Amino acid sequence: MAERRKYKKRYCKYCEAKVDFIDYKDVAGLRFSLSERYKIMPRRLTGNCKRHQDMVSTVIKRARAAALVPYTVTRKQVVTAPFENLK
Amino acid sequence: MRNYENLVIVKPTLTAEEIQESLKAIQEVITSNGGEIATTDDMGMRKLAYPIEKNERGFFQVIYYSAEPSSISEIERRFRLNEDLLRFVTIKYDTNREVAAWNEMVKKAQGKTSAPKTEEAPKAEETEETKAVEAEPETATAE
Repeated sequence: MAERRKYKKRYCKYCEAKVDFIDYKDVAGLRFSLSERYKIMPRRLTGNCKRHQDMVSTVIKRARAAALVPYTVTRKQVVTAPFENLK
Repeated sequence: MRNYENLVIVKPTLTAEEIQESLKAIQEVITSNGGEIATTDDMGMRKLAYPIEKNERGFFQVIYYSAEPSSISEIERRFRLNEDLLRFVTIKYDTNREVAAWNEMVKKAQGKTSAPKTEEAPKAEETEETKAVEAEPETATAE
C-alpha cells in the first residue's frame, strides 16, 4: 500500500512548472521519470501528461545514447551512486 | 542554416594536451563544412554510464553550431573516421521552442566560459575534489 500511496495524487509535474523544453544533459531532472533499474516510468505511475511523457522519453533515449544514463542495470554491474559525478 | 548541437566524447587515455588538440580537430571538421560554431561547453572528464570500447570514463564536450542541413551527413561521416572519438550525439533544434531553448543554452555556455577567468583558483580545487571522489569507488571495486 505504501508503494501505491506514493503515486496516488496524480498531476503532471512538468505542466505545473510550465516546461517547454527538457535538456537531455540535465540528468538530475530525468531521475524523476526513471525507475530503480533505469527503465522509463509509465505515465500511470508518474502522472505525466501525454505531451510531456513523449518529451521525457525522447530525452531519456538521447541521454542513453550519450552514455549519461545507463540502458540497463543488472545484478552484476550494480551502480552504487549512479549520479555521483553531477555538478 | 539550422541550429545543431553535438555532444562529443573523447578517449580518456589521451593526455590533456592531446584531448584539446583532438577537440580542435573536431571543431575544424564543423567549420570546414560551412558550420558556424556559437559556443562550446566543456563538461569535463566524467564517468560513463556504461563502458564504451572498454573505457570507463570520457571527456565530454558540447558544441553548439549552426550549419546547412546537407552538411550534417558529411560531418558525421568525418566523426566516424576519427578514432579519438568514443561517441557523438547530434541533435537538431528545429521548431521555435527548440530554437529558443538552443539560444538560452548558448547564452548559459557563454556565461560559463567567460566567468571562470575570474574564478580560476576555486574551480581548480573543485576538480581536484571530484577526482578524489571518483578515485574512491574504483578502489572499492578492486577489493
